[in-house]
Amino acid sequence: MDGSVTLDDVMMRFDDFTAIEPTRLTIESGEFFSFLGPSGCGKTTLLNIISGFLTPSEGQVRIGGEPMASVPVNRRPTAMIFQNLALFPLMSVYRNIEFGLEVRNVGRAERRRRADELLDLVALGGSGDKPISALSGGQKQRVAIARALAVEPRVLLLDEPLSALDLKLRQHMRTELKAIQRKTGITFIYITHDQGEALTMSDRVAVMSAGRIQQVADPETLYQRPATAFVAAFVGENNRLPGRVVASDGETTTLDVPGLGRLAGRTGQAQLAVGQSAALFVRPEHLRLDTTGDDTRLEGDVTSVSFEGAWRMLEVCLADGSTRLRVLLGQGAGPAANPVAGHRVELGYAPRDAVVLTDDAPADVDAETGEPLASRTGEGQHAASA
Amino acid sequence: MLHQLKGRFGAPVAMAIVGLVGIWLVVMVVLPQWQMIAYSFHPNLLPAEIGGPKDHWSLTNYATLFDNRIHLAIFFKTLWSSVLVTGLTLLVSYPIAYYLAKVATPGQAALCLLLLVIPFWINEILRTFSWFILLAFRGPLNELLLALGLIDRPIRFLSGDGGVLVGMVYAYILFMVFPLYNAIESLDGNQIRAARDLGAGSVRTHWRVVIPHAKPGIATGCIMTFMLAAGSYAVPALLGSPGSRWFTQIIYNWFFEGGDWNQGAAYAFLLLVLCIGFMSLVMRLFKVGLADIAR
Repeated sequence: MDGSVTLDDVMMRFDDFTAIEPTRLTIESGEFFSFLGPSGCGKTTLLNIISGFLTPSEGQVRIGGEPMASVPVNRRPTAMIFQNLALFPLMSVYRNIEFGLEVRNVGRAERRRRADELLDLVALGGSGDKPISALSGGQKQRVAIARALAVEPRVLLLDEPLSALDLKLRQHMRTELKAIQRKTGITFIYITHDQGEALTMSDRVAVMSAGRIQQVADPETLYQRPATAFVAAFVGENNRLPGRVVASDGETTTLDVPGLGRLAGRTGQAQLAVGQSAALFVRPEHLRLDTTGDDTRLEGDVTSVSFEGAWRMLEVCLADGSTRLRVLLGQGAGPAANPVAGHRVELGYAPRDAVVLTDDAPADVDAETGEPLASRTGEGQHAASA
Repeated sequence: MLHQLKGRFGAPVAMAIVGLVGIWLVVMVVLPQWQMIAYSFHPNLLPAEIGGPKDHWSLTNYATLFDNRIHLAIFFKTLWSSVLVTGLTLLVSYPIAYYLAKVATPGQAALCLLLLVIPFWINEILRTFSWFILLAFRGPLNELLLALGLIDRPIRFLSGDGGVLVGMVYAYILFMVFPLYNAIESLDGNQIRAARDLGAGSVRTHWRVVIPHAKPGIATGCIMTFMLAAGSYAVPALLGSPGSRWFTQIIYNWFFEGGDWNQGAAYAFLLLVLCIGFMSLVMRLFKVGLADIAR
């Protein structure tokens, strides 16, 4: 059972609005793959194209290698979990789960047996006769999962299914979804704007912005080695310092940041040229107060300290008077790390912990083919490490 | 209710409102109805005999229907034909309502609704009469079918029940489309998508998801259409043939040709009972309550 999903230069246009730029991507069979992006970035459109609710303007979708262009929604080997779950409110839990089997003319006894199996899988055994209205939010969630799994899809599509749940339940369901995915071995394609969900559950994540895939990578790579300024800013928290490139080689790039002088960071992209505008990104946890010899140093005044339990978050206004940095201090940060608002502090970071990327994310296209870089990363290479 | 009115408008205005509504109900609704019921249980008498020894309560007017085979046949035929009209109207209206509610863009829906409503700006008699012209032996429909070579000689559409059925379906379509539209419109589009996604074809999607959801709307539409059809006079009078007499025509005859109001009232009351019976049957069949229909 091959549950791989391939997008062959899929592109979607609505009148004169391009919802999806030409995209080439392969999602491996059995993978937990997420599309992460702000609302309106095209991720739901992409999901609808895979499920068959939308026909792409150009390109095609293949599932397990088979072209899906002429396969209607109800014949595709996919099942969708809708954002609002879309359970059938007039049917019992059993009837909901058995719906897809009934369509496939599975006999009554066999239907019930499979439904019971699935209810056990989602830890709802014995609730089959309940009406949908008698279930809690989390239980409805589980029924939706069971209903989708009942049709034995090769690919399960999940459209922000956890967004209606409260925080505790959401975090619990993350673990559970991941466990169900492991147990069933089905390809999960997960759509979310919540990076916590994407990072904790996924094998790989595609970060999307304005109809374009910015980067495809495993969660760690995404966090440690963002390929574009958008990814650096969108995934996790980051401090952004814009400036102009004064020197760049494969290893290190130095920026001239107005009011702050020269700052160095790892070269994040291949095509950084001297004189172009770029931004240095340094994460709050990489800024420290007890600086060491090789650190790039910055000076500023603490404007606020907020205690978050396991850590403290400082806001520091730098010497230029306008740039504000967020600094995360762990509990073991030492006696020097106990500043209060108004203190002048010296901050430092190791240049290898910061990254310089082309600012404002201009068209990230491959200079030779004119295709988005993302399509190459989708084949398994990593654009940012070039 | 009265309490709320008092709170909002003060006692005098509240009493006035309630009083006026009460008077309207009693004078315009209850008393005339009561008068008709009372008529129906009394024999038809000369004015001089009213209040005399012959003026007593009796069931003879009701018995007439069951003694008169032809009238009884027409009574049941009216029932059956009204059921048929209701079914046909539902069949025609469901696709229209579904299209309006779920398929059409707002612009298309508005245009479509306008096109549906415009003919209803014209008097029912005139609309019915235009069907009479359309369906006539030498009318445009026959001409068209002849010109297209689909038939060899004109068809008598207006003999038998065909004309009446067509006319009624057309006359009452809005009373079916609007309740259906309201019901289907409130269905979450994702339910339809989910059914499709789980493998259901369109027939099953409608049967299992859309129609169960639209049940209160279907019940409302059916009840309204049935009542209007059973109580219709103009359509059978204009489009009917001698063989397709409607029970309302008999009632009319008792009142205005036979001059026997008492007998007419009894027949009218029986028709009312029939309608109420049908309504409760439909409500039970569809498992909907009055509250669902009022929505």
